[in-house]
Amino acid sequence: MTFMGWVFLGVSLTCVWGLTIWCYAKVLRLPPEEIAQEPQDFSSA
Amino acid sequence: MSSEKQEWGTRFGVILAVAGSAVGLGNFLRFPGQAAANGGGAFMIPYFCALLFLGIPICWAEWTMGRYGGRRGFHSAPSILGIIGRGSAPRYLGVFGVLIPLAVSFYYTYIEAWCLGYAWHYLTGGIGVDAGTPVSEQTATAADFFADFVGLNQHGVIAGGSIQTLVFWLITFAVNILLVYRGISKGIEKFCSYAMPAMAICAVFVLIRVLTLGTPDPKAPDQNVVNGLGYMWNPDFKALTNAQTWLAAAGQIFFSLSVGFGVIINYASYMKKKDDVVLSGLTASATNELFEVGFGGLITLTAAFVFLGLSGTIAAVQGGTFGLGFQTLPVVFAHMPFGNVIGAIWFFMLFLAAITSSISMYQPSLAFFQETLGWTRKAATTLMVSICVIGSFLVMYFSKGAIFLGTIDDWVGTLMIFILAMVEIICFSWIFGIERGLKEAHLGAHIQIPYLFRFVMKYIAPVYLLVVFAAFSYNNLPVWIKGVADEPLKLGALGLIAAVTAFLVFCTWIGARRWRAAGLDIDGRQPQAD
Repeated sequence: MTFMGWVFLGVSLTCVWGLTIWCYAKVLRLPPEEIAQEPQDFSSA
Repeated sequence: MSSEKQEWGTRFGVILAVAGSAVGLGNFLRFPGQAAANGGGAFMIPYFCALLFLGIPICWAEWTMGRYGGRRGFHSAPSILGIIGRGSAPRYLGVFGVLIPLAVSFYYTYIEAWCLGYAWHYLTGGIGVDAGTPVSEQTATAADFFADFVGLNQHGVIAGGSIQTLVFWLITFAVNILLVYRGISKGIEKFCSYAMPAMAICAVFVLIRVLTLGTPDPKAPDQNVVNGLGYMWNPDFKALTNAQTWLAAAGQIFFSLSVGFGVIINYASYMKKKDDVVLSGLTASATNELFEVGFGGLITLTAAFVFLGLSGTIAAVQGGTFGLGFQTLPVVFAHMPFGNVIGAIWFFMLFLAAITSSISMYQPSLAFFQETLGWTRKAATTLMVSICVIGSFLVMYFSKGAIFLGTIDDWVGTLMIFILAMVEIICFSWIFGIERGLKEAHLGAHIQIPYLFRFVMKYIAPVYLLVVFAAFSYNNLPVWIKGVADEPLKLGALGLIAAVTAFLVFCTWIGARRWRAAGLDIDGRQPQAD
């Protein structure tokens, strides 16, 4: 494993783990969801 | 007549379901092979460019269009693209959004059954690879088992007595249909909320096992984990000057994220009016990338390298997705301490990855039959199951050289995805309008799409897609067309696809007539009062 190999591995893993953790942290901090409002459905039209 | 109304129960539910749809065998088996063959670590430069400029923008467009269509009571690509694209042409082009998942399911469920079958065999003693014999013999044993199991050597082996494969397929298919029939919230969402964490646990377990292998054979000190990682990650910058590398990276992102597949647009249509689509879309994409780069990029080739060395790993990569997954890794597991346990966990993880993807392939056609024909879920399920049984049986019967499977995968699972994605991004950015589209995307959004993406979604993504599609067609179409001309069975597979397409177009025509008769704005001409 070369130095650049470690760099690419490290940067790639940081990117995907960082993005995933940031996204889930955001989602988890969201306010509680609204009560479901039934959508219209035209399959019976 | 149907009065059933479906929607996601929670925001996590839709995120995990879309992520589950995206995470599949390609994350663990296709990605590492593509990266290793196209510059190693350097592959990640075009890969992340494609993610940023192609994958995520089209994902956001699909999520937004889906939710918009769902608000008007529509749940399939033809009806939604008819509204977004304002007319019949986008509506009929939207048939690809039903055809692709339906036709891909013909073979995908079969591959899923292989994973289940292999998991079962590993739980009950392995597939007969003896680590004490020469590696060439082990590889031959694994290859023979695979060929027998899937019927690679002769047609009709499934119908002719390969009962175990048929049983695994029946179980897999029945589970899929049961989950889809139970509905969006009670079936798909509930299953994905258990399957995705279970898949992550399995992946972490296998990853830890692989990264702690050290140097298992003292006589081959070069065959160690660090060198295995180096095989996958050492960058070859010369590859960046090769157009093939950029094409492979764009293709991998494209297929991996399930964009242009007709699934996201269908799943998003069950969201509520002000459910966030921007953060949810990004989270689902990030989850897919975590499985692909964070697990797929560390497990598969590292394990192969440690036990098979450089030449064995190169051969494994050349063997393609199936060769790597079902012929090389069994040899690797034979050498590993507790190899049967690891093998069972690995193939069970692949089965979970596959089933969370395959259930997403049935839902679009189910919704399509319900809304075009006005049928109940039960009747629409019966129709869909009938089509799938015919398609799957043909794939399984004509198994020699995986001829039906390969042909459908090339023409539908690869080529048509590009076409649908192009239709979608053009409808969203140019016909619906980028400003209107982003305003719609930001309804209830918890993060803002960066301003730069107006430009990316309107110009860069369509041009990027067009260039990739043109290069892909130039490289592959002549060979594929020659293959169809030379092999009647390939022509037969295309005939099957043509017949299914004609039926879906007919259903779309019936649906359009019904909706018009009911006074619905199916061409998106009237502004929505919201």
